[in-house]
Order: sequence, then structure tokens, then C-alpha cells
Amino acid sequence: MSSKIANPVMRSAAWRISLWATLAFAIGTMLVFVMLHRFVANDIQRRSDAWLTGEVAVLGDVAGRTPKDRLYGRVVGEVAELASREVPNKLRSNSSENDSVFFLQAGDDGTLKLWVGAGNGLPNLAAIRARKFISDVPYDLNVQGFNQPFRIASVRLDDGSHIYLGLSERDELRVLNNLRFRFFCLWLLIVLFGSAIVFFVTRRMLGHVRVITEAASRIGQSDLSSRVPTSKRNDEVGHLALTLNRMLDRIESSVHQLHTITDSLAHDLRSPLTAIRGKLEIVLSGDLRVEQSEPIVSAIDELDRLTEFLNTSLDVAEAKADALRLSLTEVDLDELIRVMIDLYEPSMSEKGLRVNLRSAGSVTVLADAALLHRVIANLLDNELNHLSASCTVSITLSASENAATLIVEDDGPGFASEIGLQMFKQRVKGRDSQGHGLGLAFVEAVVRAHGGSVTASNRPGGGALLLVTWPRETGEKVRASHSLTLEAIS
Amino acid sequence: MRLLLVEDESEIQSFLQQPLADAGYEVDAAKDGRTAIQLASAKKYDVLIVDLGLPDLDGIDLILQLRRSGISSPVLILSARRSVDDRVKGLEQGGDDYLTKPFALAELLARLRNLLRRNLVTSEEATRLRVLDLELDFISRRASRGEEVLNLSPQEFVLLTYLCRHAGRVVTRSMLLSEVWGMRIQPNTNVVDVHIYRLRGKVDTEGREPLIKTLRGIGYVLKDR
Repeated sequence: MSSKIANPVMRSAAWRISLWATLAFAIGTMLVFVMLHRFVANDIQRRSDAWLTGEVAVLGDVAGRTPKDRLYGRVVGEVAELASREVPNKLRSNSSENDSVFFLQAGDDGTLKLWVGAGNGLPNLAAIRARKFISDVPYDLNVQGFNQPFRIASVRLDDGSHIYLGLSERDELRVLNNLRFRFFCLWLLIVLFGSAIVFFVTRRMLGHVRVITEAASRIGQSDLSSRVPTSKRNDEVGHLALTLNRMLDRIESSVHQLHTITDSLAHDLRSPLTAIRGKLEIVLSGDLRVEQSEPIVSAIDELDRLTEFLNTSLDVAEAKADALRLSLTEVDLDELIRVMIDLYEPSMSEKGLRVNLRSAGSVTVLADAALLHRVIANLLDNELNHLSASCTVSITLSASENAATLIVEDDGPGFASEIGLQMFKQRVKGRDSQGHGLGLAFVEAVVRAHGGSVTASNRPGGGALLLVTWPRETGEKVRASHSLTLEAIS
Repeated sequence: MRLLLVEDESEIQSFLQQPLADAGYEVDAAKDGRTAIQLASAKKYDVLIVDLGLPDLDGIDLILQLRRSGISSPVLILSARRSVDDRVKGLEQGGDDYLTKPFALAELLARLRNLLRRNLVTSEEATRLRVLDLELDFISRRASRGEEVLNLSPQEFVLLTYLCRHAGRVVTRSMLLSEVWGMRIQPNTNVVDVHIYRLRGKVDTEGREPLIKTLRGIGYVLKDR
């Protein structure tokens, strides 16, 4: 229970929608940034490659034209030194020593002929010689003692020696890293901002839906006149509210029609019944011999049964159409069943039946008291009519937080298999039944109108079992009944 | 006792008038709400019987109109509706009573008497009640017949009390169900008969004059003469 309440946001549709939207958005923007990054990285690479090939060509030209005398090393070294000053992407924060560029001339025998750069150039030469092939386009080279690779461009001189110009990729990588970091921050900001907007927009939207749902759930059987709130906007949510209200209009009018029909039917039948019954009673109250009064008495009995049948069928019809008018009050099931047993016990023991009750104490439910009385009376009438002598009826009442459970079982013959699943249908009764076949249909209809359920089965050891579940949590009023129950238990 | 019967069904009106007159009421009848208001403002009635389904006015609105114009006589509401709506329940709490059609005449008469009697409970009846040689003591909650103390269960005592309070008058099964057990139900079985049968076994013992009489098709009566 507490975990459910702990994070209602996580369970909301708004949360799920914004989560998926954010995911799609994040992947999309990420792809855009990756492509942008690749483009920039390629561009930087291309620029430094162009510089390298240009410079190495110049150096090769200088080296080829400079006479191979004592000044050769100094002239070429000077030119190389100058070239390294124009390195692209160079950062000013570098140390005074120039370690980002090297110039190297190797003889065709593989010896180091000229070196301009940091260190003695031997690891660079070793790394270059370790490469199996020599390419004309610039390539990456890892040199021992340096963390970042060098980009190398080379040119072959006429005397068979090679000139290599190396440019450290350190600065280039630093620029790219910097760019990546900025891209990431920007991406994060966009995604967070976007998801927040999506979340609040969908929540606002679904908030309207929730308001409609709450309003719709408040509209119960007894209150069909209220409507869900409508907004002026002409969107899906507005349509939902309008459609719901139109549906409620139709339901209300058909329920109203049903009430009109049943009321007028009841009225048109009852008034003549009343008149007939009254006249019979007047005759009966005169001085009559037994054989004269007997037909009148049985006529009155028949009339009463007809009335009861009329009442029950109309109730069942209304309950099945979900149009039963319930006036809910708090009823203590335990107390009610005790009074009912008190009422039925003499008839039961007269017939040789025993009845016992197991109940843990007061169980308050919200119910239409008059209908609930008739439900319990129907259940007991049912037992009284169907059981033969020396059977036992056991009634068990228990309650959980959400529902009250009433079990009525007996050790009689059980439900006939021919009734089977038709149990709760109107006018279905066992072969030997005396009733009009409405009893259990009425019980089921009323219990369902209150949001409960009834199941009927035969016990494994023989006998019938009826299980009635009555809900206990139905809205605002329940809190009061809840505290009452707690008081009763404590 | 003046009584105003407001009922549009002429059948019911005609069959009610004679028994009501026999029971000692001076009956005026109205077929619709307007006539009822005219009659009620012209004369003072001790009790009214009002049908809910009138042609020109809802029965409850009629009662409310009468109340507003200062007529406070108790009303017995007749209803052909099955479920009694909340407004009727409201009136019931205000001291009026209702009866659903079809009803037993005896019950109608009994409820009328109840309505009229509400303000006149005698002090003697509050502690002790005597019908012929049957005596009920409400303090010790014991019943006796002549010298013999009857061995009654609490439920049987309540049942006998109700019969004694209505001694000499017919009591129907549904009156007993609603007054003794507090239920407005119509059981298909003879549950009330068995209670009466048992009570009779204790009250009308061998050699004594039987007091509890069954009127078949109508109800029961406790003899007071």
C-alpha cells in the first residue's frame, strides 16, 4: 500500500510518455551531435594534413637545393624551426620547448642524418622504421615516450634519404575534447529542458483526463444527473468529456424511462390489487362459516404472493438494468443476521432444521437497508424451502478491510445439476421448488447493484454453499463506517 | 375523529370509506390536490390519508404545502411505489407514516390509531399492562396469566407486548415484522405464524380461555372481552 502511494508520479501515463519522448529526443540529438563532431574532427585533420604535406614539400625542396656542406644542417634546421612556428591549432600555454613538431631526415641506410625537435629523435626514428610501408599521404604514428600519436608526412629526396615532418596530435585532440565536452553539456541541457517541457505538457493534458475520470467515477447509480466538467478547447480531451456527457444523457434518459415504466406498471397493478384485497377483507370480517371463508383466505394469500412476485420482478428488472434506486445507510450485518436468525429459528426448528452462526462481531456495510433485509430473508427462505428435516444451516460472517463475506451453507441435497449455471436467472428453480424462482435472482441482482458478488456451489461433502461478498469501501461515507467498525472491535 | 382521504382511485376510495366509518372516523374524500387543500383549510382534520400519485400534484408536495399553511395533523402516506424515496422517509421522521399498496385494511386502521395515539401514552401503560387475566410488567419484563408466571423469551415478551397494546384489534403479519423485528419484508414462508404458534402454546395453556386468535388471511387478534 505505502509503496503504491510513495511514487504516484512514476506510475502516471505522463511520466511514461515523457520518458519515451525524452529517450527518442535524446537519441536523435545525440546522433546530430555525433555527426557534427565527426565533421569538425575531419576538418581539423584535413587542415593539419594540408599543412604537413605543404611544409614537408617545402622542406624537401630546401633540403634538395641546399648544398650538402657544413651549413646544410643549420639551413634546413632553421627552415624547419620556422615552419614549426606556424603549427595549426597550437595552444599558447605550451612550454617554451617545442615538442609538438619534429623534423627528421633519415639516410637510405636508416641512420639519423638531421633532427630538429625535442629529445634526440632516436625513438621517433625507431617508430618510423618499425612501419612496414611508406605512404605518401600523412599517417598516424605512436612514438615511445609520447602519450599522443604524431601525424607524419614524408618526402623522398633524390639522394635516397627521407625527410619526415611530424606533428603531435595533442593540440588537435585537446580541441576535439573541448568540443566534445561542450557538445555533451549542450546535449544534456537540451534533453533535460525538452523532457521537462514534455512532462509538464502531458501532465497538464492528462490532468484534464484525470479530472474527467474522477468526476465520472463519482457518478453512481443514484446520481446520474451530474456531468463531467467540459473545457472550451476543441481537442481530444474536450471531445472525450462531451462524448461522456452525451452517453450519460442517454443512460439517464433510458433509466428514467425504465423508472417511469416500472412505476406506472406498479401503480396500475397495485391500485386494483389494493381494492380487491380490501373488498375481500371486508367480506372476511363478516360472519362467515369456515367453508365460506376458506376460498377468500386463499384468494388473499394468492394476492399477497402476486404482489410479492410483482415487487421482486420489478426490482430484479431494475437491478439488472443498473437502475435500482439505492438509499444507502450504514447497516450492521452481524446485528441484522442475528435478528433474522431470531425470526427464522422457530420455523427452522419446527421443520427439524438447525441453524448456527459464526461471526466475529460487528460488520458495518453501506447498503439500502430495506433491500438488504430482503436479501437475507430470501437466503433464509431459500434454505427453509429446500432443506429436509435434520439438516444444518451454517452462516459465517467475516470481514476484511475491503469486503464483508457472508457464507450460507447447508448439508442438504445441494443445488440440482439441472439448475447449474442458470442459478441466478429469473424464474429458474429446482424441480421440487415451491417458490416463484425469483429468490436467488433477486439476491444476486441486489448484491451486484451494491457492487458485490454472489457465487453458488455445491460443497464437496454434499450440500449447497452460497457466498455473498459485499464491498465495504465505496467512497466518502466509508471512513465514518470504518471508524465505527474499529470502535466495535476494540 | 375527522379524517381526510386524498385518493384519486375511486375504487380504493369507495372501499375504504365504509371500514373507516365503521372504525369511528368521519370521512371526507378528495380526488385531487386542489380539493384537498380547499377542504383542509376549511375544516380541521385529526388525521389525513394521502396517496402519492395524485393527478394534479405530487403527494409529498401537497403535504409540504399543507404544512406551510399551518396544518400539522398527522398524515398516513399511501404509496404505490416499491422503494420508498428519501422524501417520504423524511416525512416519516417528522411523525408521519407510510404504507405501500396493496395493504391490509387492518394495518391501515392500526397505523391510523398509532398516528393519533402518539401524543397520548398513558402513564399506567408505561410500567404495566393488563388484558383480561393477562398481565405484563415492563419493569421486571415478566408476563403472567392469573397466578401463573409465563416463561417467555425476551423476543416472545416483545411480541406479546405488541399484541396486548393492540388488544381487540387486528394485527397483521407485516405489522408484526416491522414493529417487533424492525423489518419491512414479505417473507414467502410462515415465519411469523410459527412465532405466534409458540407464543400461543405458552399463553393459552390447557384449561384456559384462548386469548390469541388467528384471523386467517388477515392476521391475529388478542381478545380483550
